[in-house]
Amino acid sequence: MPKLTIDDREIEVAGGTKVIEAAARLGIMIPRFCYHPALGSVGACRVCAVKVLEGPVKGVQMSCMLDAADGMQVSTTDREAVEFRRYVIEWLMMNHPHDCPVCDEGGHCLLQDMTVSGGHGIRRFPGKKRTYPDQDLGPLVQHEMNRCIHCYRCTRFYQQFCGYRDLGALSIGNRTYFGRVASGRLESPFSGNLSDICPTGVFTDKPSRYFGRRWDYQRTPTICINCSLGCHAVTSVRYRQVARQEARMSAAVNGWFLCDRGRYGFFYASLPGRPRQAAVKGETTTMDEAIAHARSRLETLPPDAIAVNGSARSSLEVLAMTERAARLKGWRGPAFFADAGAAHNVKTAIARLEEGLAVSLGEIGQADFILVVGADPINEAPMLALALRQAVQKGAGILVLDPRPVCLPFGFMHVPTAPEALGAVLGRLVKKSIGPAGLDGPAARFYASLPDEPATGQEVLARAAGLLAASRRPVIVCGTGIVASALVGLAADAALLLTAAQKKAGLFYILPEANSFASGLLAPPESTTDRILKAVVDGDVKALVFVENDPFATSPDRELLERALAKVELLVVLDYLDTPVSRRAHVFLPTQTLYESGGIFINQEGRAQYSAAAFAGGAPILETGGSDHPPRVYGTGLPGADPQPAGQIMAQLAGEPMASEIGARPEYFGGSTVSELAELPDVEAFPEEGQRLSPKNLPADRFKSVLPPSSAAESDELEIILTERTFGSEDLSSYSACLETREDEPLAGLHRRDAESLGIREGDGIAIRTGNTTLEFAVRVYDNMASGVMVVPRLQRLPWQGLGKRVRRQDIRKA
Amino acid sequence: MLPKEIKDRLEAEIRHVEHPRELAVDVMFAVQEHYGYLSDAALAEAAALLGMTPLELDELATFYTFTFREPVGKYVIHVCDSVVCWMNGYASVRDYLCRRLSIGMGETTADGLFTLLPVCCIGYCDRSPAMLVNRRVHGELTPEKIDGILAKLRREAESGAERPKVQGVDAITG
Repeated sequence: MPKLTIDDREIEVAGGTKVIEAAARLGIMIPRFCYHPALGSVGACRVCAVKVLEGPVKGVQMSCMLDAADGMQVSTTDREAVEFRRYVIEWLMMNHPHDCPVCDEGGHCLLQDMTVSGGHGIRRFPGKKRTYPDQDLGPLVQHEMNRCIHCYRCTRFYQQFCGYRDLGALSIGNRTYFGRVASGRLESPFSGNLSDICPTGVFTDKPSRYFGRRWDYQRTPTICINCSLGCHAVTSVRYRQVARQEARMSAAVNGWFLCDRGRYGFFYASLPGRPRQAAVKGETTTMDEAIAHARSRLETLPPDAIAVNGSARSSLEVLAMTERAARLKGWRGPAFFADAGAAHNVKTAIARLEEGLAVSLGEIGQADFILVVGADPINEAPMLALALRQAVQKGAGILVLDPRPVCLPFGFMHVPTAPEALGAVLGRLVKKSIGPAGLDGPAARFYASLPDEPATGQEVLARAAGLLAASRRPVIVCGTGIVASALVGLAADAALLLTAAQKKAGLFYILPEANSFASGLLAPPESTTDRILKAVVDGDVKALVFVENDPFATSPDRELLERALAKVELLVVLDYLDTPVSRRAHVFLPTQTLYESGGIFINQEGRAQYSAAAFAGGAPILETGGSDHPPRVYGTGLPGADPQPAGQIMAQLAGEPMASEIGARPEYFGGSTVSELAELPDVEAFPEEGQRLSPKNLPADRFKSVLPPSSAAESDELEIILTERTFGSEDLSSYSACLETREDEPLAGLHRRDAESLGIREGDGIAIRTGNTTLEFAVRVYDNMASGVMVVPRLQRLPWQGLGKRVRRQDIRKA
Repeated sequence: MLPKEIKDRLEAEIRHVEHPRELAVDVMFAVQEHYGYLSDAALAEAAALLGMTPLELDELATFYTFTFREPVGKYVIHVCDSVVCWMNGYASVRDYLCRRLSIGMGETTADGLFTLLPVCCIGYCDRSPAMLVNRRVHGELTPEKIDGILAKLRREAESGAERPKVQGVDAITG
């Protein structure tokens, strides 16, 4: 631990720490452009010069390249260093257009800060400035190359950190150009980070262009809810409009960055069509009247004839209040999951995430071998792909066992495996990589139950088993979207077995939605939306309450849904989205988004995180003013501020037993049946990195996984795998117009063998007949996917609900 | 599209190296030799052969002096633009060439014969000021000598002589 002195102040840092970081720990911000903690040092911009007074190499040195050494004496204020930095700034500014007044970076621009702190003010160079043409990089990032100071952060981030290959450094010397070969949409789903890391205004946030300066915005630390990872963000609001999101550093979760789905997934909150007024039978009314109407209608029905559905996009507060209302009133539900399979997967994952096994997203980057089972990281949890890449950069091997043609921005091994065979392959691999020595009790019995290597061992699996055998910190990443719950448990047992074999093994689940963890904790075991819908059709349920749940987006059985909605006597919908079901509601009650109410979300590793309210709500001024001057209507309240937190509305619907909880901050968790929630701190005192919940007792089913029998028989059916895509699948971000062009074409993926047997070629259109409907897709043929399955993207704009789980080969024909 | 024999030859060469990227410059030269310059389509073709993205190859193509991303004249004149040539009359050589050809640096004559480009040090400092014509080096340049070279090239072009190869510096003439 070297101890050094910077500006006469002593600090002790870990070996290998750079002087620029050591200074930062003392609160000294040494100027920097090319240096970024996530990207490391290259020593290119020369602006972090300091003077080493005592140390291995004396004189002016670049503090980002200099390892802190014992006894080192560094001055950041030495005249020579200050002068050096001033000259560097002066020549970096030589070609800069000085267009700060019209630049969106102005106000939070590192170049502005460094110019001022570097002491450069008067321009001496009389020559012409170099200029560049700009490119259209798509709807997310604005390009303005003249402002560039050639720090290379963008290309290092884009290519090295993320592994995408369509933006880079072109040309040479003074003409160096950062862009693409030609104008066009950036391919990386992490492209929005360019706006964050560019130290000046070359890359700026396009959707919020010219909307405000940083100091104009209400900026709030929030949690991203566009997937289950719970990345940290900063939300910027102006004129009652959520306008911009940026990444917020979190060592435990997302590091420095954010994916584009999360960064641009907020537009639903300020959408012009967002319903903000309560309505009874289509007629707008006040919240109080609508709630009273709904309550009086509900009170005429026996509690058992009322069923409640929520969803995992609600905060823990809403979920808990919904569950509490249903429990106290004796209503059915709440159902937080579409069907039993989804519920069981999430509940299994929650039960198996025991202390010591669960790893955070931040810890993924430290793993030395990662086994990804039944998961498609870039599509299901984009930032996970970035974390995996960091592990790969440090030498980790990655094996993906998944039927889909998984695509990741780094080299990895992929064994396309049919869903029902995933468990057997996983078991075989883990068994092969460790020996029986040292195992005893349940671990030994579980080891013995795993299948041995088959006669025809695959070369890739053998190589992966070798890497897993040699690894010390392996992690098993397991999806919960397309797999059976037996596999979710098996992944945990496999990780336990690796632990028993003296490895520091980790377990990482991907859950379907932002608050799936909380939904799984709170959902009564037998309540699922499909059962409730069936009960409506059977006449047992007369009233349906949907709390921030759009069954048209989530329910896999569209026909059942339509029949239930046609039959139900009372349909109450609480939502902040304009959905098909909210339009059909008998009573519609507008709710607040996370940005207005704040709330707790529990991510896929059980980390409960509080996202603060970003503003007080109300309709955007652009909307109320008809994009002109704000309206001159005099009143006290905010226009369009009727929406209330859904939890509060549920308390009012429940009436008497929860009357005391209306208005005041309710004791959401006190009466909860879930003991884990009782330990949550007050939201005011929530830790920055959240608080991890883990089961109180060790799971009862440790080492109890039984491999499902795998049927390798050729079937006359294809299994349909509905798969989430980075863009266009997730509910909330599908409301963002700027992400529309990022959506994939709705293609059905087939293995070459299946395509050939069906006489289908790449690009052909196919028609699939299921039930009464026929769906048409174009086909993409893959070699790197499992045969016997058809992969269909679960896009919001695609009527995938009609597809079912299997399709007979004879029902597929060329369109 | 590249003719099959060139494509086959390049593919065979690429198969023989551990990292196809090693041959990026060779492949670019071969493709440029065929098309005359690296158009966007040619660049994409070369990148596909190497398993690189067009951007990755363009990073190299635009970095180097001898790969052309725009059409060039029949004779590419690289005037050495480095310290020793600066001391020995680079500016007069450059100005004289511009005047004689009626073009600026980076431009091509209307008849498509000459393109004028700067190059940073060709290692011919002992005979500076120097220039390259289609990679053939000419040193100790004077107005008379430049006139002679240009006249010779014009005669060569008129007589319909084959386009000189640009496969590396093959000879040195004084």
